Amino acid sequence: MKKYLLKLYVTGNAPKAEQVIANVRRICDGEFCDQYELKIIDVLRQQQLAEDEKILATPTLIREKPHPARRIIGDLDDKEKVLLGLGLKPHAE
Amino acid sequence: MSKNILVIDDEENIRESFVLALEDTGYQVDTVGTGEEGIGKERSKKYDLIFLDLKMAGMDGIEALRRIRKVNKKTPIYIVTAFYKEFFDGLKAVEKEEISFELIKKPIHGDEILLVAKSVLEGPIGH
Repeated sequence: MKKYLLKLYVTGNAPKAEQVIANVRRICDGEFCDQYELKIIDVLRQQQLAEDEKILATPTLIREKPHPARRIIGDLDDKEKVLLGLGLKPHAE
Repeated sequence: MSKNILVIDDEENIRESFVLALEDTGYQVDTVGTGEEGIGKERSKKYDLIFLDLKMAGMDGIEALRRIRKVNKKTPIYIVTAFYKEFFDGLKAVEKEEISFELIKKPIHGDEILLVAKSVLEGPIGH
């Protein structure tokens, strides 16, 4: 079982959403190596999942595991800000 | 330098809720009641964030989004809408045109407006 379980809620599959996904994957690859699972949910096509998860806005990245769950919204480009927002410390480089 | 936010919504109480939610942030918030006014405002001033209601009388949010994106491809535009499948059909058509937008769910409360605005303009806030 992977140590980190994350869910990324995006809007559609246009280039901007693809860029957000790529950024988050890059951050996860760099920080978690292969110890993570990232689920991508397109809110335009799976709105019920977004409703059930009480998604407020896109993009939203949720860290489900390790507990407790934590979520962030908005600009997901900056690795440090993403990790800090998720309650994680960046690895020293 | 202060960040500029534009709110385009045909309901006055919604526009007021955005202004109230953001009044202590230091952001400059402009509001308009129609898509046409929103396009005019967007052309006259640089905005860092736009909230755009989907369902408006006259020019709806989708048409306003298309027209804004013709001249401005960078500013984050948040479509304000209930998450109903029927409402999303029009947005899927826009998506096929490779027009970028984000979604913010209606109904929205003041603290949620604040969270989204700050997250977009200052960086993600964990919650």
